[in-house]
Amino acid sequence: MGTGKTSLVLRFVKGQFFHHQEATIGAAFFTQILSVSEATVKFDIWDTAGQERYHSLAPMYYRGAAAAIVVYDISTMDTFARAKKWVQELQKQGEEDAVMTLNFQFILRNPKLVMALVGNKSDLDSKREVQVEEGEEFAQENGMLFMETSAKTAENVNELFYEIAKKLATASPPNPSGVTLNHEETQERRGKLFCCIG
Amino acid sequence: MFGPQSKMDIAFEWQAQFHILRPSIHARRANIIVKFQDLYGFTVEGNVDDVNVLNEVREKVRQQGRVWWALEASKGANWYLQPQISISQGIGLKSSLKLSGFVNAITLKKLIRKGIPPVLRPKVWFSLSGAAKKKSTVPESYYNDLLKAVEGMDTPATRQIDHDLPRTFPGHPWLDTPEGHAALRRVLVGYSFRDSDVGYCQGLNYVAALLLLVMKTEEDAFWMLAVLLENVLVNDCYTTNLSGCHVEQRVFKDLLAKKCPRIAAHLEALEFDVSLVATEWFLCLFSKSLPSETTLRVWDVLFYEGAKVLFHVALAIFKMKEHELLLTHQVGDIINILQRTTHHLFDPDELLTVAFDKIGFMTTNTISKQRKKQETEVMKELDLRLRRLNSIRTDEK
Repeated sequence: MGTGKTSLVLRFVKGQFFHHQEATIGAAFFTQILSVSEATVKFDIWDTAGQERYHSLAPMYYRGAAAAIVVYDISTMDTFARAKKWVQELQKQGEEDAVMTLNFQFILRNPKLVMALVGNKSDLDSKREVQVEEGEEFAQENGMLFMETSAKTAENVNELFYEIAKKLATASPPNPSGVTLNHEETQERRGKLFCCIG
Repeated sequence: MFGPQSKMDIAFEWQAQFHILRPSIHARRANIIVKFQDLYGFTVEGNVDDVNVLNEVREKVRQQGRVWWALEASKGANWYLQPQISISQGIGLKSSLKLSGFVNAITLKKLIRKGIPPVLRPKVWFSLSGAAKKKSTVPESYYNDLLKAVEGMDTPATRQIDHDLPRTFPGHPWLDTPEGHAALRRVLVGYSFRDSDVGYCQGLNYVAALLLLVMKTEEDAFWMLAVLLENVLVNDCYTTNLSGCHVEQRVFKDLLAKKCPRIAAHLEALEFDVSLVATEWFLCLFSKSLPSETTLRVWDVLFYEGAKVLFHVALAIFKMKEHELLLTHQVGDIINILQRTTHHLFDPDELLTVAFDKIGFMTTNTISKQRKKQETEVMKELDLRLRRLNSIRTDEK
């Protein structure tokens, strides 16, 4: 719900930013290719709708994903609280999927979802409600990447995806595996990730 | 509220439609992309072929207009307002129905599939959808009373609505103005109080916005929204866990497997869940995907024949691209094909011909049975999920 998930993805994929980005319904799909020293990573990104009731659709998007970005808005404490819930759900989901489907390949291939916690709208520092340390601490406790970004100014946006790509390239074998980019309650985007050693 | 002389009426006067920048010969040669405003004021990007298609569509709309006028002249102004013809009954063949009524019903069904002329749309939709009847059951002042009652209210729904107003078709010459935002706000906030189970669900903003553009008066748009959510669509499409939407998606998957088995098999092999694209189609009733006139042509039929029309149209989009879809190897390619197709479907007849002639007959009865079947499954799944989420909360404590 307006934490800037779509804006973040659009900044990364197209280098664009719109003040009034259309509200996402269901989810939107984007792709982008990034080269890191270890590999070339193709992101298939599912950018999901923000409103709470869309939560019930989320499993469809994060199923089989390899990375997730959970996004909150640093100027709204409420979004941070919801981001925390998302992180817990995703962690739980990961375990249960593996157990429920008894899919050992899944366990081997994707032992752990790469997760990133992102505080977006860092340009709104004057309206900040969530301190950097709070985000950092929660991310660290949960073994997540952490970054504050601004889709508006582009600050840290490419860096975020670069870090995720690096982690994916080293963490998973070069065969295709899912990547879920999960944003806060609002946005979870999942994408499949295709790694090809270049 | 906007009166008959408002800016909107002037901007969207039917006769003044299609402000297409006629491409010059140079543009034609270079086959460049041109930007133009469509009938309802949306900026559209397309190539010269698209512009030509739109010109043909405009001509067809004129012809349809003449057919409707001729019928009014021969059968009387409100000939289509047969009490027996309602959306829930389709061509309700009651024994009491006179032959002339039956003939009218058949004529009307065919006519509507060919499109209601934009100038007649508000009147025809309002009557045939059941909105007029719904409105007639409450006091005249209902809508204004509702607006007065909700004034100054602050709820999660109003906050989300306020957040979404500038994000609903941004850049539209009327919707994206203070006047447009205010009208859309009143319709959505009003409805959120009429039905607190629905409240406000994202997606309804697009639907209500388009209803405003068509109906021209805010109150009629409100009643169209009410009849849509309460009578036309299946229940609970937009309530807290979108269960109705989940059901429709599952029914759609079954129908695709039945009607387009090759596509369904191919997509399944690629682990592509059709709901990934179809969810938005169903929740926004195609308003975010199809060009405006094509969307409204779908709605013409939707308001007359009911929610199964959405399945027809969604199946048609896949069917039209069967060959291309069967050649895909990646999820991204599937999505690109479907998006490109929907965005360029400027000719409504192309879509609707496939939707009704090629997809074949589906009875409301069969679909109802499938919905029943899926409902149980969906409820089970949502319940399981809820329990899992609750267990997270318990873990926290």
